[in-house]
Amino acid sequence: MEGNSFLWIAEFFGRLHPLIVHFPIGLLVVALFLEILTLNGKRPGLREGISWLIYLGAASAVLAAVLGYILFQVDDYQGDLVQNHQLLGILTAILGLLTVWVMRFMQKKGSQHLLYYRSSLLMTVITLTVAGHLGASLTHGEDFLTSTFPWNDDGYEKGNAGELLAEFAVVSDKAELSTNQKDRLNLEVRAIFAHNCYQCHSELKQKGELVLETEEGVMKGGESGKLFTIGDAKNSEIIRRLKLPRDDEESMPGKGKALAEEEIKLISLWIDNGAHWADESLKIFPEAQLAISKPELPSIADEPHPVDKLMTAYFEVHDQEMPDVVDDKTFIRRAYLDITGLLPNPEEVIAFEQNTSPDKRNQLIKTLLSDDQNYTQHWLSFWNDLLRNDYSGTGFITGGRKQITNWLYEALSTNKPYNMMVKELTNPTEASEGFIKGIEWRGVVNASQRTEMQAAQNISQSLMGINLKCASCHNSFVSNLTLKQSYGFANVFSDSTMEIFRCDKPTGKMSEVQFLYPELGHIEAETVKEKLIQLSEVMVKPENGRLYRTITNRIWDRLMGRGIIEPLDEMDNTPWNADLLDWLAADFIENDYDLKHMLERIMTSKVYQLPSINYSDVAALKDDDYEFTGPARRRLSAEQFADAVSKVVAPVYYAMAYDPEPNAVPGAWIWYREIELERDILPKPGKRFFRYEFNIPSAKNINAADALITADHAFSLYINGKKAVEGSNWRKVKQVKLDEFLQKGANVIAVEGENEGQIPNPAGLLFSLRLSYEDGSEDFVYSDENWKTTKTQPQQAWTALNFDDIAWEPVKIYNAENWGKLISFSFNQNDDQNFARASMVKQDPFLKALGRPSRENVTTSRDNQATLLQALELTNGEFFDNVLKEGATSMLAEYGNDRDTMVNELYFKSFGRKPSEDEINLMTEALGKNPGVTEVQDLLWATVLLPEFQFIY
Amino acid sequence: MHHHTDYIRRDFLKKMGAATLSAMSVGLPTSSFLSSCSSPARMPSSIDTVILLWMAGGMAHTETFDPKAYAPYEKGLDSKRVLSTFPKIPTAVDDLFFSEGLENIGSVMDKGAIIRSYRAADLGHILHTRHQYHWHTCYEPPQSVQPPHIGAWMGKELGPVNPVIPPFISMGQRFTVGEGEELKAFHSAGFLGTEFGPFLIPDPSTGLDSVRPPQGMTTKRFESRNQLYQELVKRSPLEEHGSGYQKESLMRSMEQAYRLLNSPEAKAFDLSQEPKEVYDTYNTGRFGQGCLLARRLAREGARFISVSTEYEPFLGWDTHENGHTRAEKMKALIDRPIAQLIKDLDESGHLDRTLVVLASEFSRDAILEGRPGEKVLDQVDQPDQIEDIKYYGMHRHFTDGCSILMWGGGIKKGLVYGKTADERPCASTENTVMIDQVHQTIYHMLGIPPETEYTIEGRPFYTTPDGHGEAILDLLA
Repeated sequence: MEGNSFLWIAEFFGRLHPLIVHFPIGLLVVALFLEILTLNGKRPGLREGISWLIYLGAASAVLAAVLGYILFQVDDYQGDLVQNHQLLGILTAILGLLTVWVMRFMQKKGSQHLLYYRSSLLMTVITLTVAGHLGASLTHGEDFLTSTFPWNDDGYEKGNAGELLAEFAVVSDKAELSTNQKDRLNLEVRAIFAHNCYQCHSELKQKGELVLETEEGVMKGGESGKLFTIGDAKNSEIIRRLKLPRDDEESMPGKGKALAEEEIKLISLWIDNGAHWADESLKIFPEAQLAISKPELPSIADEPHPVDKLMTAYFEVHDQEMPDVVDDKTFIRRAYLDITGLLPNPEEVIAFEQNTSPDKRNQLIKTLLSDDQNYTQHWLSFWNDLLRNDYSGTGFITGGRKQITNWLYEALSTNKPYNMMVKELTNPTEASEGFIKGIEWRGVVNASQRTEMQAAQNISQSLMGINLKCASCHNSFVSNLTLKQSYGFANVFSDSTMEIFRCDKPTGKMSEVQFLYPELGHIEAETVKEKLIQLSEVMVKPENGRLYRTITNRIWDRLMGRGIIEPLDEMDNTPWNADLLDWLAADFIENDYDLKHMLERIMTSKVYQLPSINYSDVAALKDDDYEFTGPARRRLSAEQFADAVSKVVAPVYYAMAYDPEPNAVPGAWIWYREIELERDILPKPGKRFFRYEFNIPSAKNINAADALITADHAFSLYINGKKAVEGSNWRKVKQVKLDEFLQKGANVIAVEGENEGQIPNPAGLLFSLRLSYEDGSEDFVYSDENWKTTKTQPQQAWTALNFDDIAWEPVKIYNAENWGKLISFSFNQNDDQNFARASMVKQDPFLKALGRPSRENVTTSRDNQATLLQALELTNGEFFDNVLKEGATSMLAEYGNDRDTMVNELYFKSFGRKPSEDEINLMTEALGKNPGVTEVQDLLWATVLLPEFQFIY
Repeated sequence: MHHHTDYIRRDFLKKMGAATLSAMSVGLPTSSFLSSCSSPARMPSSIDTVILLWMAGGMAHTETFDPKAYAPYEKGLDSKRVLSTFPKIPTAVDDLFFSEGLENIGSVMDKGAIIRSYRAADLGHILHTRHQYHWHTCYEPPQSVQPPHIGAWMGKELGPVNPVIPPFISMGQRFTVGEGEELKAFHSAGFLGTEFGPFLIPDPSTGLDSVRPPQGMTTKRFESRNQLYQELVKRSPLEEHGSGYQKESLMRSMEQAYRLLNSPEAKAFDLSQEPKEVYDTYNTGRFGQGCLLARRLAREGARFISVSTEYEPFLGWDTHENGHTRAEKMKALIDRPIAQLIKDLDESGHLDRTLVVLASEFSRDAILEGRPGEKVLDQVDQPDQIEDIKYYGMHRHFTDGCSILMWGGGIKKGLVYGKTADERPCASTENTVMIDQVHQTIYHMLGIPPETEYTIEGRPFYTTPDGHGEAILDLLA
């Protein structure tokens, strides 16, 4: 008590504040009321009474403000609410005094000042009301008032306590409640605990050593002993605490509002009836039905397409008309980008526009879907994100991660049924095991990040739209999932029984093996292998509606820019059209889980073909109250943009990180073997020489001899002493006819290669020669370990056949990963697609800036807003600058000074349309009379950054 | 959250005029998915800028800022006797001794404080990049969502100090080295979104290239290219359909890039603007140049800058052999530029509102691997008797007793915080500091409340795991 022995006085006065505040409220409000009665000069007799009310009201307002200030000083109050309340309280006192002053002024000077006085009084009462409201918010909680509004319902308000009480009132005289009733009673009590008590008394927080989440915890009680004796609610600690006045320190709940009387009664009833604990797990949060219920299609004769039938009904309910579909040009661009990820060629756009077939849109969709390669190379990005598969990234260096690209590519290009895909992901072969193997970091990891738990989390999130991440550390606060469930699922992937860890601390309890939805089937087996077989069977059952709804929702999102449920990974949320979602999912199952069928189903609908909608911000698009009016306008993905630039400007990428046809053309990257201090090092800069001798059988006649050659960094190729071709850009493979150079019998290939640079760096030579004979047979001669090499400049005619290379060394084969699979290293070069699809290349700063995620975690929706870093990459990035430069150079070579053709072609390629007169003028002016590379480059830059290029509209 | 609109507005009006206010989105909300539950009141700040001098690879405290008994090299030296391979030297602070080779940094210790008791987390088998990830994000990898780098948090919560200097700049580290992918994993804004990601300057001498028009482009051409773009945008038929958030964000980011690349502040990135003698003082290599660039950017208004000695497995501070000779070289690399940075910032008054932190992912020892009592796999052989100088030095990883240095922004001057044992294990014996405390101390100084959080996939994410870690107020004057 030393030093602040008078503090109690301050505290005492401070706490009078809540009492005193009622005086100004009462007095001043009545004063205003009486004042209103005197309007128009009526009831002058009231005047004196009003004066007194105002004197007293103002005085009490001042007193209340002073006491409030004292309370603020001595008690622990903080935050905006207090500040505002304080400010308004003081303002009320001041306005009160002002009102007194104006009133006296008026009484002296006459009633022409009546208006000032009345305004002042009104102001005072308004301020007082707001101050009072804030004060009440402080003591009763901010949502005390507003939470009663039906639209602010948090989904739980006393639950069914009232109903249950009414129901049980009838039976409570009888001896026993039924088991079902007891279960429901218990679940309701637990729901009350969950909503009012868990914030402090969960397994995680354990305030007062009390856990109300589990039977064990409830029965055990806490610091102050047992909560109750079964059958004796009246004398129980819990009921006593719940009934204490709210200002009592022991009153419960300590935070939030008091329980309703009905709720307390229900808890008493539960205790008195034996405090039975239901086996069922508590479902506090809304959960989607597991099974799909396929709705009847509405009978709308005008709309043949099932999706349109469903959506016409939807539009009717929402007082909308189905808008007209977009024009052909917009449609073909959308369809191309959605199925193949590419822009349509100008010729294709024109032909499509001129096509008069009424069925042409459906036909186009069919044709595009049958383009397996481009379909695969577009959708690969979606699946890589979803299954967090990548060609590089963390975990690969220490063998802690494995790609599934081979498996995935094949699954897409053969359109593997989705149920099979899921089966093979959950019960994997060697090719698909990377998904559930997870990413393993060296060292000790948090228990919630064990690879078994990663498998459970990723399967849940990617395939079933369930967030298991919270529940892998502790019981979830945002869903019904429990720690026990997460471990039960993770245990499927574990070869030994896992111990349950809560928040990275061992609990001593061992986990069961259990699928998240035991109603679909149990997993009971000894070995991981058998468990996975069972899991994969259970997962893909048609009854597992979550699995099929989740993929349906993801596909809809891809095509429409917004899911039927958002966020895509929270499939317990309410869909904006449940019938549509379930109908599509059921249709998917009925059609053999065919992903292309689902695309076709959605894309052939009018709904897909409606004009795109702009949203003012992402929040409006993702809002809970979203109403469908058309597909949302989307931005090209990183990959779509890179590929579009590759098509319109110049190849952005030349080589793929993954080669779907590894043996299509034989040939290995070879170079001189560099050794220093007994260790292999990277090749040093400088010239290296290569030779290879081979025979052409004299019995055969050559029909054609085609060679492909490239080298990092430069080469000159000699055949039998004659120079055939040279090159200095490894990205661009030279294709050359060698018929003239070759002879029957012995031949020699000689190559002078050069590695540039100042320090050791990757170097390689890649060569392949195809000999087609008249008899129809073929032979290949290609770079391999049999070639010879030297680093000393040979003196004689080393490129000729008769040269002794006995002293030369064998070459070393270098890992092709340095360069990737070059698109142009192919005998069937496709002029139209001379670039590598961006989905097939390693993550790089360019794609990263454009939003390709690093696939350490599952990513199901990318951020599609532009950022500064992105704009910088596009505006001054060297990488992109070089692409534009290359494009400008080749465009200039093609069109020269013909500016009109140049801009026409550019616009047709980019937008499928001619430029307007206005646009032509602007562009030709910018190009100048004699355009150089820089002018063309700048035009290309401006074009590909236009919203018309960047968006899917 | 309370955002930094006031910052932006103030700097803005000063720098560019209100007309471009809409153009600056770093910090101004582009509509974001991120939602924050609480809106903690803004706290007062004592700093605007943080410079992190990152000693990548594990800097041995006993060879640098916390010397122990000196065991000079001799053939046959008992490994157990090796605690420090350099003699002690005095510093500007009485009773504070550093290891030989750090005279310059010693001379500025009267302007800053040293923490001698940082204990890195025990992540089991030691992996440099994993500890670096932990240091920079405060979260142990792997995580089920990607946590942001400390620089990204600053960019998100406070925005840029000067709107044309990116708020999160990372210098000196290339990603083409071994463990490059692991390095990339934490040089990231994580769930805050790429908008707050690092502005990377692997080579400080070419810093200017990142903020000026592409090579070979004149200002005039840059202007007319932009002009052409704007005009074409206006004429595109897509314009008839109004504008949505995507177009807004595209236009805004393009405008921003244009401003930045055209702004006079871009000069701050240009080291050639420095007088030769200043440049020479700093230039001990890429790290020294990084310090100089950091000084230039701090003066111009940067929010967070890291300058790394660059991590490359078995190079730099990652001494698995020749520890003594290599530590000598590393000290020569950092000593002069760091001291000069402190002096320069102090003289220009910027040290008042700038915090400079020097740290490393963990420390090293001649014999112990890991943490005392927690045996992990030995990474290198260390003979009992040293017959070759290549075995003389700190070749094993040790996670306790690491030194962290701090200067500026109200850090107590001349303070020595925490202590380590004088005999092996030279672990912290007093005031042990963990990573979340370091982060919270920095956030405290920046005025970012500890309860700052975002809800990601239904879970609250704080600046430090579960919001734990208390700011070490004893460090502050």
